[in-house]
This record gives sequence, C-alpha cells and structure tokens, in this order.
Amino acid sequence: MTGHGRFVEDVVWPDTWHVAFLRSPVARGRIVGLDVEAARALDGVRVVLTAAELNPLVRSWWQTAVGPDAPQPPRRLLAAEDVRWVGEPIAMVLATSRYVAEDALELIELDVEEQPPVIADHLDRWKVEGEVGLVHPELGTNVAAQVPSPDRGMPMGNAALDDVLGTAPHVFDETFHQHRYLCVPMEARGILARWDPYRGRMEIVAATQGAHEVRASTARLLGIDETQVHASAEDVGGGFGQKMYMSTEDHCVVAAAYREECAVRWIEDRNENLVAGGHARTEDMRLQVATDETGRILGIKAHHVEDVGAFPTPGVGSNAKLAAAYLPGPYDIGQYFFSGVATYSNTNGKCAYRGPWMMETVAREQMMDIVAVELGIDPLEFRRHNMITSDRLPFTTSSGMVYETVTPRETLDQVAELIDYEGFRAEQAAARADGRLLGIGLAAYIEGSPGFGVLGAEQVSLRIDYDGKVLASTGSGSHGQSVETTVAQVVADSLGVDYEDVRVVQNDTAASPFGSGTGGSRTAAVFGGAARLAGEKLRRKVLRVAAVALEADPEDLELDLGVVRVKGAPAVALPMAQVAAMAYAGHAAFPPDLEPGLEAAHRIKAPTFMFSNAAHAAVVEVDPGTGQVRVLRYAVSEDCGNMINPMVVEGQIAGGVVQGIGGVFYEHFVYDSTGNPLTTTFMDYLLPTAADVPEIVYGHVVTPSTTPGGFKPVGEGGAIVSPPALINAVRDALRPFGARLTAQPLTPAVLLDIIEGNTR
Amino acid sequence: MKPAPFAYEAPTTVSEAVDCLASHGEEAKVLAGGQSLVPVLALRLARYEALVDLNRVGELDYVRREGSTMVIGAMTRQATIERDPTLRAAIPVLREATRLIGHPQIRNRGTLGGSVAHGDPAAEYPAVALATDATITVIGPAGPRIIEAADLYDGPMSTTLAEDEILTAVAFPVWCPGSGFAVREMARREGDFATVGVIAGVTLADDRISRAALALFGVGATPMRFRQLEGELLGADFLAVDPTDFGETLAQRLDPPNDVHASTAYRTRVAARLVAEALDAALDTARQETTS
Repeated sequence: MTGHGRFVEDVVWPDTWHVAFLRSPVARGRIVGLDVEAARALDGVRVVLTAAELNPLVRSWWQTAVGPDAPQPPRRLLAAEDVRWVGEPIAMVLATSRYVAEDALELIELDVEEQPPVIADHLDRWKVEGEVGLVHPELGTNVAAQVPSPDRGMPMGNAALDDVLGTAPHVFDETFHQHRYLCVPMEARGILARWDPYRGRMEIVAATQGAHEVRASTARLLGIDETQVHASAEDVGGGFGQKMYMSTEDHCVVAAAYREECAVRWIEDRNENLVAGGHARTEDMRLQVATDETGRILGIKAHHVEDVGAFPTPGVGSNAKLAAAYLPGPYDIGQYFFSGVATYSNTNGKCAYRGPWMMETVAREQMMDIVAVELGIDPLEFRRHNMITSDRLPFTTSSGMVYETVTPRETLDQVAELIDYEGFRAEQAAARADGRLLGIGLAAYIEGSPGFGVLGAEQVSLRIDYDGKVLASTGSGSHGQSVETTVAQVVADSLGVDYEDVRVVQNDTAASPFGSGTGGSRTAAVFGGAARLAGEKLRRKVLRVAAVALEADPEDLELDLGVVRVKGAPAVALPMAQVAAMAYAGHAAFPPDLEPGLEAAHRIKAPTFMFSNAAHAAVVEVDPGTGQVRVLRYAVSEDCGNMINPMVVEGQIAGGVVQGIGGVFYEHFVYDSTGNPLTTTFMDYLLPTAADVPEIVYGHVVTPSTTPGGFKPVGEGGAIVSPPALINAVRDALRPFGARLTAQPLTPAVLLDIIEGNTR
Repeated sequence: MKPAPFAYEAPTTVSEAVDCLASHGEEAKVLAGGQSLVPVLALRLARYEALVDLNRVGELDYVRREGSTMVIGAMTRQATIERDPTLRAAIPVLREATRLIGHPQIRNRGTLGGSVAHGDPAAEYPAVALATDATITVIGPAGPRIIEAADLYDGPMSTTLAEDEILTAVAFPVWCPGSGFAVREMARREGDFATVGVIAGVTLADDRISRAALALFGVGATPMRFRQLEGELLGADFLAVDPTDFGETLAQRLDPPNDVHASTAYRTRVAARLVAEALDAALDTARQETTS
C-alpha cells in the first residue's frame, strides 16, 4: 500500500463542468411540474439539462455481451413524463463545481403526482401482475424474463423428474430468500467526457471494468463510430460487476458532453452509489429434491424468482440462465428441471455482482444441509455421497455442463481437514455445556466462467522496442485484481525475460487490443492463456532474430531472463536490447521470410465454459444473549488450476468471503413499502469491517485445466459460496432451537428471536 | 454530498469564539472534531450560515484534576482521553467507554465536548457524563454557567445550551474508593453507535451499596438514568442483589426506538441482559476495590 494510486477523481481537466443529478424522490409517479429556470440562472451554472434536451440524442442502447436484439427495459437518459424508482435521474446540472451544481439542484422545482409503486418487501414480494400497476406501461407486463421461454420451443417441464418427485422415498421442498445487497465498490462510479467537434472525437476517462465497452456504448448511444471514441481508465477501485457496463448516468455524461461540446465530469458520491449504483441479489429460489433410501439425490426441481428493479443492466438483468446451467454444481443430481421468472419493480435496477447467478449455490448448499439432517446423515457425508468423483470425468451434468478437470471431492476433503470437521462435534458439545452456541457449515460449488461470445476471444499483444523491455497490451480492465502483476508474470515466464522488464497496458481503447474487460472470472484463463501463447510466439521470434546475429540455428539458442545464449556455450550471450536493435535496425541481414521488429500477439479462443471448484467451511458462535454472530474460523480449499500468483488467488478468495460475511450478517439495502430507500449511507448500510472478519485459512488443490497455462476461474467463487457456508454454520449452531433460517440477513434480532422461540 | 455555502470562522481564544458565535446569531454552529457535523452538512441534512471552528482554541484542550473532579477541556480529543494515565486511574469508566467510540481515526479527531454537545442518544460520552454525575461548563456572552449532566439534554441531539453558548469543559467527579463501573454495549459492528448501551456504577461500603448509577443509551431520545431503581439498590448487601432480576425490571420501563438496526422488542430484551451484565461487573469491580 503506497497511496500512489490515481483514480478517475484524480484526473483533472481544467475546463470540465461538474455534474449533479436531480433524482426522483418517489418510486412511481407522474411528473406534473419541472421548473429549472432558477437553477439555470444561478451563478456558475452552465446549463440544466432535462429529458427534452438530452433524450432525443439517443440512437441505440445495448451492451455487447447481450447484443442488439436482446430485450431491454425501455431505457431513457432522463425521466420524461414519469418516474419509476427513487433515485432515477430527472435533470442534470453542469456547473463550475459540484458544490454549485448541488446548490442549483435545490432551486429546481419538481412536482410529482405519486402513484402506488410496484414494491415488494423482503419476504412478501413480487406480486407480479396487476394489483398495483405496471413499472413500464410500454411493456404491458411486469415480467422481464422467463425461463424456459414459452415462445422458443423449450421444454416446459421434465416428465421424468415429475415421476421421480412423485415416487421417490424422500422428497424435500424448501424456498430460500436472498435480500438486496450490493457491490459497494471502494471507489464509486465516475466519468469524464469531452467532445471535440473539430476532430469529431470523444475523449473519455471512466472508472470502468472495460474501456472498450465504454467506447462501444458511447458510439451506439450517439450514433458515432467507435473509432471516434477514445476511452480509458486510470486505477479503478473495485467494481464487482457494477462497472462492467455503462450506467444511465454515464450515458447522460457523454450525451451532455456531445450536446454541449464541452468537457463534463461526474464523480459519484457514496450516497448516490448506494441509492443509484446498480443493485444486486434480491431473489428467491424454491428447490424440490428427491432422494433414495440411502440419501442419493434422484432429482432436483428449481424455481427462481428475481426482482430486477426498473432499469437493470445488462439486458433485462436476469441471471436465471446461468443459474440454471450451474445449479447441479459438484453433484450428480439425476433428473433436473429449472424454471425462473424475473420481474420489474419500482426500485433501482439490478446489475452484475460477483457471481450474479449465485442463488443456485446459496439455495443448493443450504438444501444439502437441510436434507442431510432430515435424513439423519452428516452433511459432509451427504455431500460426499452425491459428489462427482475424479474417476467419472469427463462428466456431463444434468444441465449439460461438461466438467473435465474439476476436483470437488478433493477440495471438500481438504477443507474438512483444515477446519477440523472431525474434532468439531466434541468442541461443539463442550461449548453447549457451557451455554455457548457453536456451529459449523460447509458449502461446495463449481465456479463456472463464461467463454462464449465476445467473452471468449481475448488478446494479449507484446512489443519489445529498442531498449529491450516488454510492453504487454491486453483488453482486460483490472480494477483491483492485480492483472498488471499476473499477466506480467505469465509473459515473463513464457517469453523468457525478467518480470521487472514487463509492463502491462490495459483499459485504454487506443493502446490495448479490443477486449471485453475484466469480469466473469475469466482473466487468468483467457488473458493469462493469451499472454502465455503470445509470449511463446515472441520468444520464437526473438530466437530467430538472435540466430541471425549469432549465425546459429534458433534451435540451438535459449532465452532466459532477457539474455539469449547458445545452449552449452553460456559465454556467448546476446542481451535483449541488442536483439531488439538488430530486429529494428539490423534487418538488412535478415532472410526474406523474417519480418523486422519484435512483436507478437495472440487472441485466444476460450471454451464455452471454464470451471474451477472449491469448498468453504465456517465455524461460528452465536451469542445467546444478543443474537450476535462471530465467525471463529474460516477455511477454503480451492482448485483453480495452476496458480499464477497464490497471493492474488488468496486475495480474490478473501475479498469474496468478506462480501459473503457482509451479505449474510450486515448488508441490507432496505426499501419501505412506498419504495423509499432507508439505508442510504454507511451509517445504515452496514459493511463488515476488518474487526468483523476472521483470519481465513487456505488450502490449494492444483489440477491444471486444458486451456493454455492450465489456469481456471477464481475471481467470483468466494462471494458465491461463502454465504451458504456461513448460513449453514448458523443453522447448525441454532439447531437445538429448530430454526429453518431461509432468509437473510441473519441479524442479531432475527437470531435472538429464534433462540428465544419467538419465531420459527 | 457537498455542503451548502457557509461562512467559516476560526477563532483562537474562547472569548473570540463567544464573540463569533454571538455575531452570527442563531444561524451559526460550533465545529469541534466534525465527526458528526461534517457528514450532516455534506448530506445537506442541516445547514448553517456560519461555522465557528474551535480547533485552534488551544485553551480548551486539557485534562486536569481539581479537587475531587477531573476536568477535561471540550476540545480534548477522544484519543487523548483514551491514553491519559491520570484519567485512567481516576475515571476508569471514561476510558472503557472511549474505546467503544468509532475507530482510532475517528477518536483522533473526535472531541469530548463535541460528542457531549452533539448529544446523540446512542453515543457513549453523554451517558458517561450522566452516569458519573458530571457537570458541564458552558460560556456565552453573559459569562460561564454550569449545567448538571442530568439537565443537559431535552431531546434527541438537543441540549439546554443557548444558541450563543459554547460548551467549554466537562467535570467528572472521582467516585470514592470502593466504587466500580462497567460499560456494556451491543452494536451491530465494532465501533458503531450503540444499539443498546449500559453504564453501571456502584460504591460499596461494608459490602452494602452506598451509591448507584445506571445510565442507558441508544434506547430513548436522550441517555437515561433510572434513579428510582438505583434507590432500591441503596443499602442492599451486594450479595443480595440479583442483577438478572434488576435488568428485567429496568427493561420493563423502556420504550426504545424501532429502526433498521433493531426493533423495540429486540432493544428491550438486550437491554435487560446488558443491565444485568453491567451491574454484575460493576459490583465485582467495586468489591475488588474494597478488598484490595
């Protein structure tokens, strides 16, 4: 930690206009009055833009990952005739400072005629149709998405599964709820944009996970060419999915810059980020599980309900398709059927959040514990009984996913050892005798990473210029994942140079190759894999050039730490700077088929899905007097294939686990019944602090994947599987009180109620 | 999250500060450590025409003994109070409570006077002042006056200071030998304002309770004392006191708030337990004091 980071707010353009948004104070209603004249007249205000000025600029609005034909909510830059969620931008002030811009907001007269909103409370929500009205009247329905899609000829059921559920010795049926908790990046959103009408060029600096997506979205919005847009990012302080796609406010900023032909800057504050930055989770899942007499799972039927808010991103915000694909996880579950419905509401729209589909694991891993206990089988044994073992690979799951190199059984066994699962029951009994409530929870999963479509074709370009140092350009968008470190490591190893001599350039559309940024846990596998192959290509090129200089056969040369040597004759050495000088200036001696220069690039073609696996285990203590939970021990065993850098791997896992602790025990974005948000600052939206997080013990199982380098996904898993591990631990601690515990957050009040028998 | 415009005054003496405040009338606010006031300004939940910043008023930063009290200047940082060895020996409860305030960064800026004058009903210092029978010195254009801690708060974040008065010091009486205090607090996270907080203090003479104080915070509009219940403890043999019973009895008199962090019922139940724990611990400490 040096304090030398440079973030979007640190970028100072002297001629920028600062933005503040007027946001809707009500969840649903008609705008019957909007008077911005007094605000326009305030000293220091350049302009106040409303829907009338800004919205006509929109040409098209879609995200690369879903494509132009995917359904989208009826997006608009600024609310025009009605408002659809508290926080929706209505007007935009451009002023000499954010202070003046906020002063101007107070001078805007807004009159909204309130209408009853489509809001669902935490546990009694999603009254989908009719009663109160439509979030988007244009659509005629509050259903945003459905799987299976009735109009696409997909099977609407699985008769064999229904048969199993009707005849199996044991059938269990439980519905799990997951509340609204959020990405909360350390750095909130922010963007600077300048339209230069003379060069026909848009310059953008944004806090983004992918500069190319910013470029593409801007070009689509304004109907200009992508080549007219230069988008880049400085250091980005976390995104967790929220910065994967341009938000409505980001679009407003580029549109305002375009219209006003000036530089515009919006730096989001924390209050805005909580209320208006993309929201997440907020879903239910019902699972029906059939087992035989021995506890072998015969079939699972799942139904998923998501609240996607008013204007989710990307597309309509549903994660059901991935949830359906991943739900079988590390188990052989037999017959399977998954259905889901996503519904709009008058709340902030859903965005991607680290493992956006993770409800499948949250529900499944809780269900594993519930079923095991009902059957009188230890949860660890029940998992082992149903888990896919290495001798069955390649294994095709009930959802059609093909696992080739996963090791769920190995990680489960390792985590059980790390947490001392065997010894725990005695510890628990002793604690109970002292009036202390201890519990242990396990959870396992397969982390899927998408390699389909644009997500599966990423490039790393390498360049060695005159001084012999290496520039690696990638389409990634590191926002805290240490991609600058890991890609440099891979390049250094595969090329044969010192790590210190590799510099990584990314998140800049003018300097890095086209790419979809960092997200989806793909970076090590796709960018790391591309870096490895590009490094090998460049190594061959270096050796060919050096072979000319040394009058040797390339086969007789080796490259290590930036020096070419003749094998067996170490005295003959050619440093990289000399090879580079030869490559660029000494090409007269080159054979005709040897191109001058030292450059190489590789664009990888990733498998449709890439998989890793892990198991987590938690030991918690619940205070019987207050219901407060302390996480006493936490262990993780994961197999992400070859680790480029174990510190980075463990850092990724730790961050995810902390988000799980937050989601299960502290974080809850609360709307009241009128759609008014109640947790709009960090006083009320509680993040876990360092004091609330235990030391995490890590174990690694290393089974290389079949992709170049043998790397696997790891970025999202910690956030996916820690919630059920923690919930299961609390459920175990409170087992004497018969808690069902199927909704979070597990606040002290909720747990004390259970302990005192006030609820079930 | 940018404050509305305000004038800024930075006096260097108490008398200058009093003049500044008087000249701006009701529209001015005193700025101490800023840990509560600045966020409120930034969110535009409050606005003032002027801020009178006391951070350069060096004469308000002190800790000294005056007879049987420890007097602490209003601008003394919480971190100073946490570390002061004299205070630690004389008013141990103050240190115990200080460690529950926020995090080290907050305590480095936050002040005693700021916290007491702000009067957050869930804050520690107002309850410590109330529990120990502290007195508060304030000064205005008419000169200084003393307010008993019990008379300081008249509502949530509302004090009986006049608009033109500045809190300059808090005097904490040093309880006589044989006294014990305990602080118990339930907060959602380390460093948060209390969901429920309890301070218990007792003095034992010949194993009988000769003085008792119970202050709760986070359970009402202001920190609360329970003098009638305290009175029932006086004269009792400490062995005859049932803290659990006492906690249950006290909790029945509460009507705590209901908010996103905890319900009325939850706060009531936890208060009963924390009162019991605090009273038990205070009695324990007092007994050790008398036997040592």
